[in-house]
Amino acid sequence: MEKFKSIIRDYPFIAFIIAFVILAFVPSVVFTDVYQSHLATLIFVNIVVAAGLNIVKGYCGQVTVGHVGLFAVGSYTAGTLFLYLGLGFWATLPIAIIVTAFFGVAMGIPSFRLEGPYLALATLGGGEAIRLFIENGNFFRSTFGISDIPTPSLMGYNFDSPDRYYFISMTIMIIAVYFSFSILRSGVGRAFMSIREDPICAAAAGINVKKYKILAFILSAMFAGAAGAVYAHMPPGYIHPNNYTVIEMVTFLAMVVLGGLGHIWGGIIGAIVITIVYDLTRPLYKYQLLIFGLTIVLTILFMPKGLGGFIDRYFLEKRFKKKTGTEKTT
Amino acid sequence: MILKTKQLSKSFGGLKAINKVDFELPKNEIRGIIGPNGSGKSTFFNLVSGIYDSDPGSYIEFDGHDITFTPPHEIASYGLSRTFQLLRLYQDMTVIDNVMSGYHTRVPYKFFDAVIGRKKIWDQERAIKEEMMELLTFVGLADYAELNASELSGGQRRLLVLARAIAMKPKLLMLDEPAAGLSPVNVDNLMKIIMQLKEKYGLTLIIIEHILKVVMDTCNSVTVFDHGQKIAEGTPAQVKDDNAVIEAYLGKKMDDEEMRKALAV
Repeated sequence: MEKFKSIIRDYPFIAFIIAFVILAFVPSVVFTDVYQSHLATLIFVNIVVAAGLNIVKGYCGQVTVGHVGLFAVGSYTAGTLFLYLGLGFWATLPIAIIVTAFFGVAMGIPSFRLEGPYLALATLGGGEAIRLFIENGNFFRSTFGISDIPTPSLMGYNFDSPDRYYFISMTIMIIAVYFSFSILRSGVGRAFMSIREDPICAAAAGINVKKYKILAFILSAMFAGAAGAVYAHMPPGYIHPNNYTVIEMVTFLAMVVLGGLGHIWGGIIGAIVITIVYDLTRPLYKYQLLIFGLTIVLTILFMPKGLGGFIDRYFLEKRFKKKTGTEKTT
Repeated sequence: MILKTKQLSKSFGGLKAINKVDFELPKNEIRGIIGPNGSGKSTFFNLVSGIYDSDPGSYIEFDGHDITFTPPHEIASYGLSRTFQLLRLYQDMTVIDNVMSGYHTRVPYKFFDAVIGRKKIWDQERAIKEEMMELLTFVGLADYAELNASELSGGQRRLLVLARAIAMKPKLLMLDEPAAGLSPVNVDNLMKIIMQLKEKYGLTLIIIEHILKVVMDTCNSVTVFDHGQKIAEGTPAQVKDDNAVIEAYLGKKMDDEEMRKALAV
């Protein structure tokens, strides 16, 4: 066991390969109908977005409410590339990631001068502007949405149903989570956290604050772009501007906050919980926003570090007690 | 000379917070900076570390680099580290992360290696962590490494800030009131640690301090600021008897004749 642990520590991707193999068997073993595969794909898409949002908001502390706009950019880059050039998933995915990265730069520039609620307002405007631009642009098929976006195929095998597309979304999710894990565990993650805590002190400690802020925005935009492209190609391959409203943004925020801002697994835990709750409460759709708003408020009040921080705290206190023989509580 | 300023000035509106200060600091010296509140000591630190831009005509040189218009993160990468009067602790990070974030300028790997997550990165990260744990053990915070910085006591916070500033292995360390708010025992302990760190890392130190005993006991030389100007410089003994210094702190020293006049009216 010790040896296994040290191997995982040196080569963390092995853990991700194991996770991949386990998740690959889930549809055939656990799922009873196609809808569950569809739900799983939605969870994976949300995990990718939330992992990205956790980088910029949880780690770097930049309050962005325009992230759903970046998600829309990813989706509509994929959609329009198919619509006008007939490109398939394997071409649209990387292009969507790159295009969204540029939008991330634009979204990040206000953060040089604005912070806290003011930055939130600026990015909210940015996100809404993107949605309205799409909604009013004939180029993007405005409110008709883009339909029949094809599912990817690989070596003659077409991932054309939810239970097949599951593997595509899962692969992207695992890769994205692995990247976010590596970035945040390294010195880059620490630099992000220092900027969140105190930008002036971070600068005095040798951290290029502007560079790292923009880097955080670019990275999280790339995650959102990837998620957007995966979402666009998901069967039945239909995207509509209404899928990218502030309401979606609130659910993304609820994921990150509930999972734990600045916790390495925060966005992931939150995305799983919130997506499932969202689905179960579909009959109560009138109250869904209320529920998520309350979730955010209550989590911030009673569990400021979210579920992830809560679990961490439990183990930390145990370890501290074992080491020093004293209680340490706050 | 590790640090040199010429005609260093900074005004906020009409107020001249720092007014034409020439300052020179040789290597391996411990320099104390004293002066009444509002005399420009902290502003001087902020100018040197690049947090404020100095007024035109100023010149700052650090270790052979002209840093007059250099942004703070680059100045730090030349080996200048500082602490803040208000600590600016990273409250919501663990103690070990606080110290490791001070290591930033020395992190050996590139960003893309970190994204891919190569084995080399994790080895280097572990080495950094070990080195920083040694530093924490040295200042006596090793047991608290995994706690949040906000959970430390006032004295422990001062030690943590010190450790964070040392983590980058600076050539020059600037301490802004390191002992403010500490009890006398803790002050002695802190000064002992600072002296040991100086020996260990071969530091040059500038210390702003209001506790004169600390300055007189530890510093090789003292600079006195008043109203943004340097009014005296020399060994602690010289400065102690300097009339300008006494005037700035206590008011004018009168001779017998003046005293008699003042009282006779």
